[in-house]
Amino acid sequence: MVYGGCGRILSVGFLLFQASAALSTAAAPVEAAAAIDARSIILAPQSGDGKVDQEIGQLQGKIRSAKDPNPFIVRLGWAFVAKARLTSDPGYYKLAEQCSQLAGEESDSLLLRGHIFHALHRFSEAESVARKLTSDPVPRWENYALLGDALMEQGKLSDAIGVYQRMIDIRPCLQTYARVAHVRWLKGDVIGAEELMKTAVSAGNSRDPEPGAWAYSRLAFYQLQSGNSAGASRSIARALEFVKDFPAALFLQGKIDIVNGAAEKAVQALTTAATQSPLPDYQWALADAARLSGNAELAAKTEAEILSHGAIEDPRSYALFLANRNEKPELALQFAQDELTNRRDVFTYDALAWAELAAGNKSEAKQNMQRALAEGTADARLFYHAGKIAAAFGDNAQARKWFTRAVAIQQMLLPSERADLTQQVATLSSSRSATAKLSSTNPPAAKKAVTRK
Amino acid sequence: MKNKNFVFQTITMVCLTIGLVLAAPAPTRASSHMDAPLITLDPAANTTDVYAFRTDANGQQYLSVALAVYPFEEPGVGPNKYNFDDAVLYQIHVATGADVAAGQATLTYGFQFTTSYKNVNTILQSYLGAVENVDDANQNLTQKYTVTKTVNSSKAATTLFTNVVVPPNNQGLLTRYYNQNDNGEFPAKEGVALSSSLDRYTSQTIPTNATGYQVFAGQRDDGFYADIQSIFDLDFMFSGPNKPFDSQGGFNVHTIVLNIPVSELGGIQQVVGVYATTERQRVQVLRKAKVKKTSPQNSGNFVQVGRQGNPLFNEALVAIKDKDLYNRTLPTTDSTNFKNYALNPELAAALGLDASHTTNRTDIAGIFIPDLIKTDLSTGPARLAGGQNAGAPPAAPNDPGFSRLSVFGGDALHSTAQTGFFNNGTVPGGWPNGRRFGDDVLDIAVLALESDLRNPASPTLASAPADPGVDKVDHNDIGYNKVFPYAATPLNGRSHEHHN
Repeated sequence: MVYGGCGRILSVGFLLFQASAALSTAAAPVEAAAAIDARSIILAPQSGDGKVDQEIGQLQGKIRSAKDPNPFIVRLGWAFVAKARLTSDPGYYKLAEQCSQLAGEESDSLLLRGHIFHALHRFSEAESVARKLTSDPVPRWENYALLGDALMEQGKLSDAIGVYQRMIDIRPCLQTYARVAHVRWLKGDVIGAEELMKTAVSAGNSRDPEPGAWAYSRLAFYQLQSGNSAGASRSIARALEFVKDFPAALFLQGKIDIVNGAAEKAVQALTTAATQSPLPDYQWALADAARLSGNAELAAKTEAEILSHGAIEDPRSYALFLANRNEKPELALQFAQDELTNRRDVFTYDALAWAELAAGNKSEAKQNMQRALAEGTADARLFYHAGKIAAAFGDNAQARKWFTRAVAIQQMLLPSERADLTQQVATLSSSRSATAKLSSTNPPAAKKAVTRK
Repeated sequence: MKNKNFVFQTITMVCLTIGLVLAAPAPTRASSHMDAPLITLDPAANTTDVYAFRTDANGQQYLSVALAVYPFEEPGVGPNKYNFDDAVLYQIHVATGADVAAGQATLTYGFQFTTSYKNVNTILQSYLGAVENVDDANQNLTQKYTVTKTVNSSKAATTLFTNVVVPPNNQGLLTRYYNQNDNGEFPAKEGVALSSSLDRYTSQTIPTNATGYQVFAGQRDDGFYADIQSIFDLDFMFSGPNKPFDSQGGFNVHTIVLNIPVSELGGIQQVVGVYATTERQRVQVLRKAKVKKTSPQNSGNFVQVGRQGNPLFNEALVAIKDKDLYNRTLPTTDSTNFKNYALNPELAAALGLDASHTTNRTDIAGIFIPDLIKTDLSTGPARLAGGQNAGAPPAAPNDPGFSRLSVFGGDALHSTAQTGFFNNGTVPGGWPNGRRFGDDVLDIAVLALESDLRNPASPTLASAPADPGVDKVDHNDIGYNKVFPYAATPLNGRSHEHHN
């Protein structure tokens, strides 16, 4: 899911290696050597001449000359975070982590560290840092935001809601409105989510474009789910004004194009999105759109890309993708189970349920699906999966209930999912017709037996 | 140096975790208008400056107050989306009598905006064509606002204005009447001395009510001028090849201006205090079931997210760790929370002043604690700034006797409501007695730190530096209006310069 994952945790890469190679090898106490090591690593020259690169260079210079370099080290850490987001190279998160460790245990440094843990999906560590931060007598909304995020990802939604309430009581702003909107959506309140995200976007600004683009993309998501595709298109346009080729916005634009029968247009939007952000979700949508447009070659190529790199980019979506195709179900199950050790939100339970079903473990699938549905999240994919699991048990009434809910918001599904949903509904309908036909020709006693069945 | 292109940066985002994307702070931009780490993310609620000064107009005596928000609006962008925020409650507070010393607002003026589009089926957000008159068919995005007055002791609220139109932002060709010769290719009109000379859009958006209140809200030039860059670069010589450097030169802000009849405040024989806040509505994370079934609505009290009184207090005196606390708290707590910052100003030490000037500055604390702009209403009208630019046509000249350095430039007034300096009622003509458009608050602040006003009967005033003054920036980038709304015309997106 878009709101999910960046599970891309690669090696630190040549940057750290390069910095380490430059270290002095003179004999020194271990701790001092470690400190020198970390300092040398973060001060290693970086390539690039963009705005963030310039900022990194300037901050490195200030760290070298400042009497108290810690504030600059924290700022350098945030610059590395920005660089990580720009380049998709998680090695920069490791550099940022070095900064946070070097800068000590002050709250600014801890906040940086907590965000890095969160970005690297080390949620329990992020929670631990956030709990320390929220014990500070001066309340800061960022601390509560970090704690709420970490709790939510670990499936502790009730706790997260309390923390988010404290967060927004301290400071209503784009960042806090957007979080609360997401919680409302998770709890099935799409109207409330849309209402609050409208407030969030009004607090956005072009000087800080990325959160604005994100908020408009989420608003478009809620609007599309509510059936307001014109409103969603307007919000997408706003998001793209904030950040050109913003992947989350293009992803939704692609979905709208597909619904409107403009598959080739969707391919264009989704190609850009998947190029900017090679997440399995975007690639999956691109493959579906390509197939719809008759470009089987692009579809196959994109699916091959998911199979080769999807596990690194986002293991949870990768598991869903595999399970959806009934391909390597045991592998899908393994990825979903691994994800659950760290992340226990409704979408991980959904992925696990889906993988269990693909692996033929119906009971486990049902159990995990119930957990996925427990918060009342109104999500088309959840409903579709719940329907299929119910159908696998032969519980046509439950299957019909969930499929009906999925159909109501099927514009949110990918074409391959929607096609299967349509087929499932048709199968159920024909079964119902057959049942009705049978019942109309049978005597009351026989009808009762069929109904019981 | 130009600094035009920090907006609409193209950032490729790859990792979309909601926590990271929505929580990572923006890069620090050090300037007086980006005063606190949290508020910088919220420019529509970010107060840049508050003004308060005595005026006379239309046969009325007024306290003129103004609140500017949304720092660094680059005029030359598109779509021009700098607006007041419907979700923000903008408030200007006035303390009278004993409330001044307590930092307690006696009256609160609230401003709430609603935004609408005449046509949403278009990509043209702000303008559908040239705007001939405000709120005509071509002003697509239109904001209107309501002004209320609340007497805080009784909570009695009165609506002063409803559905007042905000004029369009100055895009250029489409908003030609803001600009010289009514031509969108030319720079914005310089300040004028007569209401009849105001540009069409501004003059169409200044209603007066039966009590005599006048109001305006809309885009204006940022009237603050100073070399903030050097301050935060620790360059107190303000030297270098790119100087003088007006950090705010070439940028607009959004400004609310209100003329308050002094009769509403209890007359002229007093010193009042003025500050402003911005607030956002608190919401419940989960809506109640009943609310869900009805139309969407948020609920809850407002939460203060921004505050401003005197210029430079939170920016230049309050330490980083307490800047957000300042924005969240009321002046009633200033004595507890922030008095030490005024008594022992770090800036004085940074300027290299001796120990007698860096500690126990009760005179500086008297200005800033509580952080209200104390304004003597008994002095008669303040001298107003016009402009010094030799544009075509030239700006209206400063009033005779006006000095950007206030009392340090010889611009003083006579009070009948307080003893003043020298025991003869002498009070500054501008800040820190009120604050006018055109007061060179950075120079005044430095001069105040270098002076010693702890004994008002015999104050030691630092010598005013020869022009162009402390930071070598001695004028605004465009002349001010000497009539309501006083703030200068918004700069033209098509024709403007930075850092002049």
